[in-house]
Amino acid sequence: PKPENAITIAVSSRVLFNMEKEQQIYEQQGMEEYIKYQVEHETQPFSPGPAFSFVKALEAVNTRLRELYPDSEELFDVVLMTNNHAYVGLRLINTINHHHFDLLCRVVHRALLYDRGKQSHRLLKAYHTNLYLSADPTKVREALEEGIAAATMFTPEKMTEVSETQLRVAFDGDAVLFSDESERIYKAHGLDKFFEHEKAHENKPLDHGPLKGFLEALGKLQKKFYGKGQRMDCPIRTYLVTARSAASSGTRALKTLRSWGLEIDEALFLAGAPKGPMLEKIRPHIFFDDQMFHVEGAAEMGTVACHVPYGIAQRVTKKVIKDLETE
Amino acid sequence: LQALQKVNERLLEENPAESLLFDVILITTDSQQQQQSSRVISSTRHYGLEVSRFCFSSEEDFIESLQKNNVKLFLTTDTNEVTQASQTGVVSVLLDQQTAVCSSEQLRVMFCGDAVIRPDTGPMPLTRQAAQSFSTQLGEMRQKFGMFDSPLSFILVTSHGGRESCRGALQMLRSRGVSVDEAYCLAGAPRGPMLSLLQPHFLLRDGYSGLEE
Repeated sequence: PKPENAITIAVSSRVLFNMEKEQQIYEQQGMEEYIKYQVEHETQPFSPGPAFSFVKALEAVNTRLRELYPDSEELFDVVLMTNNHAYVGLRLINTINHHHFDLLCRVVHRALLYDRGKQSHRLLKAYHTNLYLSADPTKVREALEEGIAAATMFTPEKMTEVSETQLRVAFDGDAVLFSDESERIYKAHGLDKFFEHEKAHENKPLDHGPLKGFLEALGKLQKKFYGKGQRMDCPIRTYLVTARSAASSGTRALKTLRSWGLEIDEALFLAGAPKGPMLEKIRPHIFFDDQMFHVEGAAEMGTVACHVPYGIAQRVTKKVIKDLETE
Repeated sequence: LQALQKVNERLLEENPAESLLFDVILITTDSQQQQQSSRVISSTRHYGLEVSRFCFSSEEDFIESLQKNNVKLFLTTDTNEVTQASQTGVVSVLLDQQTAVCSSEQLRVMFCGDAVIRPDTGPMPLTRQAAQSFSTQLGEMRQKFGMFDSPLSFILVTSHGGRESCRGALQMLRSRGVSVDEAYCLAGAPRGPMLSLLQPHFLLRDGYSGLEE
C-alpha cells in the first residue's frame, strides 16, 4: 500500500527477532566479526523477539480487513529497520520468509557508520511512520522529538501467550495518550493537589500525548469493522491502564478521549496499584508507559512493555540520578 | 569529482603502487567553451580538480572521443548526449542539481535493483555489459577498504517487488563481487524521499542511467 494510506509500523530488527547472541558478538568482537557471523549463519532463521507476536497480530488484522475491503489500502504496513550491514538483511529476509510473513514488509537496512547525520527519524518521516519500535532509547527519543510515536521495547524474561486472532494494545494515560501536564502537577504538588486540579478541570480536555495518533489510527481501523457489523468480533481491542482512579481523576481522562472522538474498549483505573497483574489478565501484545517502574513491573509478569521516554517522568529520573551522583 | 579524488587518495594510501584508480577526462563539445579552453583548464586547476586529459571535440566526434579514451562512465547534464553515448555502449549518467549537494568526501553509488535482477533474455545490450563490468571494477575497489570509513559506498534500492527482489539483487550483486553497504526495499513506496535522503552521486542501471524523479 502507499505509505500515506497505510498505518506504518517501523520495527527494528532487534525487537522483531532475538539477536542477543549476535549482539554479544558485536559488543565483544566488533563489527567485522559480527558481519562474518551473520553471513555464515545466513540461512539460519532468528528466533522471535518481543515484537514478533505484535506483528503477527497486525497480519491477522490485515487478513480480516482484506476480506471485508479487498480494494482498500488502509492496512498495517510493517517496515523493518536495522542499523546493520546489508548482508545481515539477507539473513533477516530469510527469517521472514521462514516465518511466512505475508505482510508486504519493506525491509530497510542501514550501514552502521558513515551515517553522515542520516538519523533514523528522517527515514521514518519519509515512510510516513505511525509508530516506531526499537531497542535503542536514543533513536526512540530522536523520533519522539520529530513528532513520531515511538517507544523502546524490552524483552520480558518469559512472554505470556497472547491471542493470534485479536490485536490487543494497552496504553498508559498521562504522558502517553495525554500530555504530561497533570503528572507535572502531581510531581510538583503531590497527590491531593493533583486530585483537586483534575476535578476542577474535569471538563477541560487534556492536551494530547505522543501516542494519541496511534490510538486514533487503531480507532479508524476498528470503525471499518463496526461498519460491517463486526463490533463484537473486532480483531482490534484497546485498553487504557492508568494509575488514575475511577472515583476522581479518571473522569477527566475519559472526557478527554470523548472530546477527541476516540473510543477505548476498556479503561482500567488502578488508583495507583501495580499494573503488572492487570496486564497479565488482559494479555496485550504491547503496552506503552512513560515510567520505567511500570514498564519493568509489566515485563516481570510476562507482558511486552515499551517505554515512551516523554514528559516530566524522564527528567525527574535524571535529576534523581544526578542528585545521587553529586552525593 | 572531489569524491572520486578522495577514493584515489585512499586507494594510494592503502597501496602506493595501486593501478585501479579513477582517471578523469574532461570532454566538451561546446564550441564556446572550446574557445575558452585555457580558461577551462585553469579553472579545473584552481579548484584542485585532477583532470588528466582535456578533449575539445565537436558534437559529431564526441562519441568517438569517448570510445577512443575507453571511457567507462560518462557524466553529463545533456539528455541527448546520454542517449547517444548509451546507444554506443558507454555507461552514461544524467546529472542534475541534486548531485551538487552530494558529499565530496565519500563516493556513493546507487544500484537500482529492479534492473539488476531482470533475467537475461537474448543478447546483452552493449550498455548492460558495460555497466556490469564497470560495477565489478567498482566492487574491486570497494574491497580494498573495510566496513567503516570507506571512501566508496554502495547502496541498493529495489523500487518494485517485495523482499524477494531485494534478496535476489543483493545476491546477484554479491556474485559479481559488489558488496553492498546499504539496501532498501521500497516495495512500491516513492523513491524521491529516499534519493534526497541517501544522496547518491549517481545511479547504475542497465543502459540508460540517470537521477530522475
